[in-house]
Amino acid sequence: MSRTDVLDREVAGALSELSAAAKRGLGDPALAELVVVRASQLNHCAFCLDMHLAIARKHGVSERQLDLLAAWEEAEGVYDERERTALALTEAVTVLTDRQVPDGVYEKAAQHFDDRELAHLIGLVVAINNWNRVMVSRRVAPGEYTP
Amino acid sequence: MTTEETVPHAPEHPPRLAWAQHAPEVYKAMLRLDTAARRGLEPRLLELVKIRASQLNHCAFCLDMHSKDALAAGESVERIIQLGAWEESQHFYTEKEVAALALTDAVTVLTDGFVPDEVYERAAKHFEEAELTQLIAAITVINAWNRFGVTCRMVPGHYEAGKHQ
Repeated sequence: MSRTDVLDREVAGALSELSAAAKRGLGDPALAELVVVRASQLNHCAFCLDMHLAIARKHGVSERQLDLLAAWEEAEGVYDERERTALALTEAVTVLTDRQVPDGVYEKAAQHFDDRELAHLIGLVVAINNWNRVMVSRRVAPGEYTP
Repeated sequence: MTTEETVPHAPEHPPRLAWAQHAPEVYKAMLRLDTAARRGLEPRLLELVKIRASQLNHCAFCLDMHSKDALAAGESVERIIQLGAWEESQHFYTEKEVAALALTDAVTVLTDGFVPDEVYERAAKHFEEAELTQLIAAITVINAWNRFGVTCRMVPGHYEAGKHQ
């Protein structure tokens, strides 16, 4: 099953534009993929993990960063402060049903990203959460994506 | 005069971030996505789904907007209130609405598990393929608005029904 079968064409186009606009505004493709892979882990989206791990490698994200991503908080020295604040924000924005986005998490991210970057980073997390929900709901199989 | 009338409410908080101003292209894509995802869905059903997802994601801004839009669309106060416990008040809703609400819960609370087969199949029984596709899209889109609303701490209370429809 491909993407076009699980979404109306107009919906798929708008969602693709949402992801693209967020990535353009963030302007950091490697960080974008780290964030997208982490959200896909939390949402258990096999299709999205398969796809974005491939894209992350293409953008030069290291194997070590990808291997340890599920335990990034404990992986000292593997991610810089900017990446860590982005990952913490990604988790807070993704796991919304348990709690609000804590002030500490938001404020730390705001120290490393200006308002424009932050708005696009949030947009990116929102967009991948949207893809995750579509792909998990329709049980789209991993392995169909080729970079 | 009652105590309730004389004691002032807690102060209103400011928003954290005017995200739409800082990311206008992202906002434009969201509007386009919202318009595309609502096509083919019955407006009252759509508002029930949006309110339910906003409850689960604790989005105050979205609850303000969609409860007002639901009321304006002719929805009853008691059906809106009972959404918080819809599993126990299924007789307030049609079988089709119940199937949509169950799917909304499953797609929204994704970090705890997958979308169960029985929930998906119940929805597939009540919604034909194209409508189901739109329903899933609509559930994901209100989840998207919820994430912006909560993360950017958008302020509830100022929405007027129909403003964003």
